[in-house]
Amino acid sequence: MRILFVMDQRVDRGSIQSVSNYVRAGDEAGYEIALYGRTDPRFPTIRFSRDVEAFDYVVFLVESWRHWMSALRMPRLLAEVPRCRRAVVDADGMYNQVVSTEAYDRNYAYEQTRAEWFAHYRIVADKIFQPTFIPREPDARKLLFYGYDPGQQVFPEASPAKAYDILCVGHNWWRWRQISQELLPAIERVRPQIGDIGFIGSWWDTIPAGAAELGVEAAFGTDLEWLRRLRIQVKPGVAYTEVVDVMSTGRINIMTQRPLFRELKILTSKYFEIFSADTTPLVMLDPDHAEMVYGPAGCELALCNEIDEKLVDVLSRPKKYREIVDEVRKHLARHHTYRNRVQELVAALQE
Amino acid sequence: MKLLFVSKLNRFARAINTITKYVEAGKALGHEIAVFGEPSSEFPSVPYSVDVKRFDFAIFVIYETQDFPDLPYLAQLLDGMPKERRVIIDCTGRYNETIRVEHDFNHLEKVDNHQGWEWIEGFEAVADKILQPTLSPLRPNVHPFLFHAFDPEAVARHFDTPNEAVKAWLGENGSKPYGMTYVGNNWQRWTQMRRFLEAIESLRAKLGRICFVGWAWDCRPDWARELGIQGIDVDPDLLKRLGVEVSSGVAYNEFIRFVSQGRFCPIFHRPLFNHLSLITNRTFETFCGDTIPILMLPEKLVEAIYGPAAQVLVPGQDVAGHMSDMMQRPAFYWDAVLKTRAHLAQHHTYKKRFQELSAIFDK
Repeated sequence: MRILFVMDQRVDRGSIQSVSNYVRAGDEAGYEIALYGRTDPRFPTIRFSRDVEAFDYVVFLVESWRHWMSALRMPRLLAEVPRCRRAVVDADGMYNQVVSTEAYDRNYAYEQTRAEWFAHYRIVADKIFQPTFIPREPDARKLLFYGYDPGQQVFPEASPAKAYDILCVGHNWWRWRQISQELLPAIERVRPQIGDIGFIGSWWDTIPAGAAELGVEAAFGTDLEWLRRLRIQVKPGVAYTEVVDVMSTGRINIMTQRPLFRELKILTSKYFEIFSADTTPLVMLDPDHAEMVYGPAGCELALCNEIDEKLVDVLSRPKKYREIVDEVRKHLARHHTYRNRVQELVAALQE
Repeated sequence: MKLLFVSKLNRFARAINTITKYVEAGKALGHEIAVFGEPSSEFPSVPYSVDVKRFDFAIFVIYETQDFPDLPYLAQLLDGMPKERRVIIDCTGRYNETIRVEHDFNHLEKVDNHQGWEWIEGFEAVADKILQPTLSPLRPNVHPFLFHAFDPEAVARHFDTPNEAVKAWLGENGSKPYGMTYVGNNWQRWTQMRRFLEAIESLRAKLGRICFVGWAWDCRPDWARELGIQGIDVDPDLLKRLGVEVSSGVAYNEFIRFVSQGRFCPIFHRPLFNHLSLITNRTFETFCGDTIPILMLPEKLVEAIYGPAAQVLVPGQDVAGHMSDMMQRPAFYWDAVLKTRAHLAQHHTYKKRFQELSAIFDK
């Protein structure tokens, strides 16, 4: 089988890491998987193709923006691939009714916008997959999609030197409320006991131009003075090819998730790539959700209560946590490899 | 003919004036013209339709990706109108290899998220015929079609002689409020505008007030700084020194009235447009104003579009000297304006465009 992904690929965000893994795992399993487009040196691990007709299925990987499915791209895809061979991976939970969490994060501001997305999806694809254990819409199918690549693991002997005690690698997109209400107060309480801290990604120190006009200013909350007071170093995001190595420069890596994703229990690339790094991942998830993804040992890595104590404990007892992380890695290697994911995708497309 | 235009209408930009003129002229000539979409209260005089099958041709007027309709409307269009009856008017030279001229470009991924090949393959997937508003397209499969046109009926004030024009131009009760106006967004214009302003600085007192209307004349936008986009620069100190007033925009149907308040109105085309000899709505519409157009355009283009009389409206290297002469001998230059209007009325009306379009459809 040949599968062509179509997405708005970005080198330092989104689902590009997973596409890279699908290409590799697909080759191992005898499937040719590519991304629509022209070979691009910014994406050295991706196979690109524009030969749409040569593929059995086209899978649109859709995040929270759909205008990239523009009329320049879509007519060819719609004309050359019948709808029954087109699917959408709804990565950001847009194929749901309006969901607003904590009167803060949301998938849609207006019902009209939701209706337009649904109409859009129905034209684009016959099947809609969601990377969650429990899709809410009756015609959305569970497909976890993101996975773990044991081959990508950075072992301690090959790991770059540790430059940070705590790292948070990700973009400040609907993260600030959780960071400011839970993480930063905890760090403040134990700051003297922690070494360097880094936030690596976009919008921790600036709000992008146009955010207000697009009505998403709330997604970029920040407090530079507070970050400075806590001596948190802010650095720009890194390419997907470097992200695991960069994570490996931190003793602890914290994974945060936007409230909407937490509510819908949506998985992302980060859930798994953080376990490829030579670090102790702490995931700001509910313990039951952490266990569902990571197995029983995952509960120990859920960062939801007594965060300050947990941070200090991880830094002071690395051996204990290394064993927990190894336990989780074994679970991921059994249940969540990209080899599994490729088979699941193939089965879902053939259903 | 029954023609369905497909484009995103904006009161302050792109092809709105030209499309409304096609609606008016088409009606007078017995054609049926509509714009694809649901009726819009913003444009009450524009007929809209989504009944694609009623029309003979769909004409996509494309500047940017958002000129294409979104799904599900796009699918409705593609299903309802066969490809051989879909036409694209490529207003900004997208259907070319990637070209950069100074800071200007026809493709830039960081601005619209599409690489050059996507514009080419995308256009070919949508339409069988691609037209560009230039007399000399670079690609052999592109039809030259100027699209924009001159509407003699829209001329602010008609004069039989240059002296009549000068009398009115100087104002029965004194001078016009502005020495010079310019209407257009600060997009890929600054390099030329800067040179122009520096050249006329010595005329400041004689010229009078200058007013620019359009976005980003007051400061460089944040998004341009973030994306590192040049060609949208501005020098507020220079504008201040020349006393240039800036304001955010006039709607398409107020343009002629506004520029008629100034004695002069320069016409600039983007560097890319000069390179591709692309023309715009303002190429023609400025000649409807009660103003002397200053043609800051390549001489070859001026000759090809405006005819021989217009050459004297091209200031060449000595802009200040030329404008000084215009102020001293306005009748000589108004003679050129009136002759150019006559040339445009003979060769570049909307009626003419319908004939050209019909010939292209018949090919």
